[in-house]
Amino acid sequence: MNVQFKKGVLELCVLVLLDKQDRYGYELVQKISDQIAISEGSVYPLLRRLTKEGYFTTYLKESSEGPSRKYYALTEEGRSYLGELLADWEKFTNGVNQLIKEGVRDE
Amino acid sequence: MNKEQFLAKLNDALKRIPSSEREDILQDFREHFEIGISEGKTEEEVANGLGSPQQIAKEMVATYRLEQVTESASTGNVLRAVWAVIGLGFFNLVIVLGPFIALAGFVLSGWLAGVSFIVSPILYLINVVIYPEIFAWYDLFFALFLSGVGIFIAIGMFYVTRWLFKGFVKYLNFNMRMVKGGMKHA
Repeated sequence: MNVQFKKGVLELCVLVLLDKQDRYGYELVQKISDQIAISEGSVYPLLRRLTKEGYFTTYLKESSEGPSRKYYALTEEGRSYLGELLADWEKFTNGVNQLIKEGVRDE
Repeated sequence: MNKEQFLAKLNDALKRIPSSEREDILQDFREHFEIGISEGKTEEEVANGLGSPQQIAKEMVATYRLEQVTESASTGNVLRAVWAVIGLGFFNLVIVLGPFIALAGFVLSGWLAGVSFIVSPILYLINVVIYPEIFAWYDLFFALFLSGVGIFIAIGMFYVTRWLFKGFVKYLNFNMRMVKGGMKHA
């Protein structure tokens, strides 16, 4: 798949994963790489950028097994950004699906 | 590559980021390694999954540069940000460097035109000192008129330059979001 496309999608994935609960970096990376082939390290620059842009806040939380973990939490800004991205995504996939349907029927 | 090697390479590639921020980035990766290992992975497996530390660092540096340029759009900052975003991949060489050269060319030529118009009476007078026989009032007034036009061009260019660089920084940010490399099978 095209890089440009995947990058945008990766951002959406991270935001979606944080919508219902706060998660730590490793967890986010695992959740995403279970579903799509990514270079895991590229999630961290993304997390950092979105944090700097004010879409996430972070906090450290002790863990039962081992050292404390950095958790990411969606801010209000992040939530409304997620809403925008989701709307774009739905419009986009609906469009593509429609084209696929028509294309398949025509053949 | 084991944990130490990975972190050392990452640290090396992040040299241009101030040490407090660099330490913060490295800490995220230490945490990643520790959790991976506690789940039974080897250091090598975790490092392989993460991908190239150089590529990760490139994205981190580009983000950092863009943040700097958003804070203050000095010429040096803009250049460093352009360079960092270009470093993300060959594709960016075309879509970042191309518009940047066009933009820089336009700004430079605008300023050159303005400044040379402004100094035209001086140049004309120098010319007259060297060749007094060619002096004509019409030429002098025309040069003064050009000088006036030049001042307006320079004032205009001041705003245009500021506006264009701000716009370009936005474009870089957009580019950063849409075009960054670093994915597998890309």
